[in-house]
Amino acid sequence: MKLSAKETRRRAWSAGMFALCSISATAIVGVLLFVAGYLVWIGISSLSWEFLTTVPTGDVANPGGMRHAIDGTIILVGLATLAGVPIGVLAGIYLSEYPEDSKVTGPLRFIADVLTGVPSIVVGILGYELVVVPVARMTNNSVSFSGYAGAAALAFIMIPIVARTTEEMLRLVPKSFREGSLALGATRAQTIFRVVLPGAFGGIATGVVLAMGRIAGETAPLLFTALGSRLLTHNPAEPFPSLTLQIYTYATGPYPEQKRLAWAGILVLLAMLFVVNLAIRVIAIRHARGRLG
Amino acid sequence: MALGIACRVSGAFIAVMLIALISVLVYAAWPAIRQFGLGFLFSSEWRVNEIERPLRDAAGKVVMQDGEVVMETLAPAFGALPVIWGTAATAVLSLVVAVPLSLGAALFLVRVAPKLRIAGPISFLVEFLAAIPSLAFGVWALFVLAPFIQNTVGPFLQRVLEPVPGLRWLFFEQVTVAGRVLERPIPITGRDLLSGSLILAIMILPIITSISRDVLRSVPRAQIEGTLALGATWWQSCIAMLRYARSGLLGAIMLGLARAAGETMAITMVIGNNNQISPSPFAPAQTMASLLANEFGEASEGMHRAALLYVALVLLVMSLAFNVVARRLVVGKLASAGSGH
Repeated sequence: MKLSAKETRRRAWSAGMFALCSISATAIVGVLLFVAGYLVWIGISSLSWEFLTTVPTGDVANPGGMRHAIDGTIILVGLATLAGVPIGVLAGIYLSEYPEDSKVTGPLRFIADVLTGVPSIVVGILGYELVVVPVARMTNNSVSFSGYAGAAALAFIMIPIVARTTEEMLRLVPKSFREGSLALGATRAQTIFRVVLPGAFGGIATGVVLAMGRIAGETAPLLFTALGSRLLTHNPAEPFPSLTLQIYTYATGPYPEQKRLAWAGILVLLAMLFVVNLAIRVIAIRHARGRLG
Repeated sequence: MALGIACRVSGAFIAVMLIALISVLVYAAWPAIRQFGLGFLFSSEWRVNEIERPLRDAAGKVVMQDGEVVMETLAPAFGALPVIWGTAATAVLSLVVAVPLSLGAALFLVRVAPKLRIAGPISFLVEFLAAIPSLAFGVWALFVLAPFIQNTVGPFLQRVLEPVPGLRWLFFEQVTVAGRVLERPIPITGRDLLSGSLILAIMILPIITSISRDVLRSVPRAQIEGTLALGATWWQSCIAMLRYARSGLLGAIMLGLARAAGETMAITMVIGNNNQISPSPFAPAQTMASLLANEFGEASEGMHRAALLYVALVLLVMSLAFNVVARRLVVGKLASAGSGH
């Protein structure tokens, strides 16, 4: 069968676009893998035992390590999680388990969604105006940048994410579970604690860990709250170091040895996020197994 | 009972967060809002400190009086137009790069990859890479992308495009020196609008791709099969899919736009940080977010800080608006298609 010119053109056009789509997918995966691979490759060649265990020396030719910043990030994320998870999970329970309040929970859900889209630099500025400035005024200090202010900014980012994930996960628990529990005479609180939350535990834990990964990589909210520090400090009432702040300072600074440390810092940050992702998988698999058993 | 109270308090806390965010910014920016009003958005002056300079007459000559140069004092002035321009230009340029690639990849993921059994791995990869913090992209852009543009892409484009009539503005800028307009070449440093836009494009690729994939996946099979039964080619049925899902795809693009507009760290490291409006992608620029990251830490009390908070408020309102519209579009589409989102 001989195709008309129009038909040939139509098919050629389709084949061409098919190729373009395939190329797009390859290009995206390729570019992202190239960036990630580059970060890991240079990071590995810059990483040393010293980097993980020592603090900055102040000598630009031999700048020491980032032990203080690694500790700082872990403490900041820990504090933010302590504050953010209870509020986020309770808000998520409210959004999902109190249908009689739907006139309130509808708008609230929308607000939580909108809050997840607030630029992180704006959150940092809010932290400065709402925590750093008032605390300075109360204590008559000129500045009072602190780890607490940084953790508050991170918690601000975390709460809406945790609330929405919790809600989504609770909604996946079948309605019949709740009805069965209530029919047996359990109160609503008992139903939520003994039936609904355990059923959604894996999903909620995954959401929490994801949110922790997200805030561990944040820099902008900490610029004007935690400020950063070159000292090894575990006291969040002081200006507080974080891995991201230290990487930013070193990467944009003029000294080549510090730039090398920035690469190593990125690798440590990515490794932390990778561990977080691995943890999510483990939780998800365990959870799935628990459900089957 | 206690649980109910705790849940309601936590829910209320989320509302309080939004109210606090808006009211604190408005309160702190109030001096600037009162002084500049909406004119702030259209003024391109950004002078943090007052400056003194020789007074010039209409011909551009320095005015002398009794053998001395007459000085004029310029008061501090603040306007957001340069950073609004920088934000809009980088966001649009990054969308121009990212949208075709993302839509192509999303079509591939929905229409081709499942048959090859590679949809899962690619999706996993794209989502994992979306979790890389923007600081990491910034460091990469600073040490790899910017030098590449400075040494390779920039000079190449200059060689090819400079002789083209009508494209001189890409590589030359007009400056007024001593009252005369001069044309001077823009140095290609790699820290410019182009670098900023490209790193933004790379960062929003995973977002637009994965949301578009979800939206396209929610197109009913019957729609695709119907077009194929009518004799459509592969691409023609893709067009039908894109058309069916257009509002959801628009939402995906707007979420990418919101992310691009609010992105801070990566762009701060490569945009060049210069409050100017230049049409050339090789000129350094400044976005709202990068201005805040650069200057807020040094801004003392007073109008400078209030003006920066005004910028933060504009950025907040803009990204909230993008998010609201985008979510309406995406969620509406996914819900009406009856998928389980």
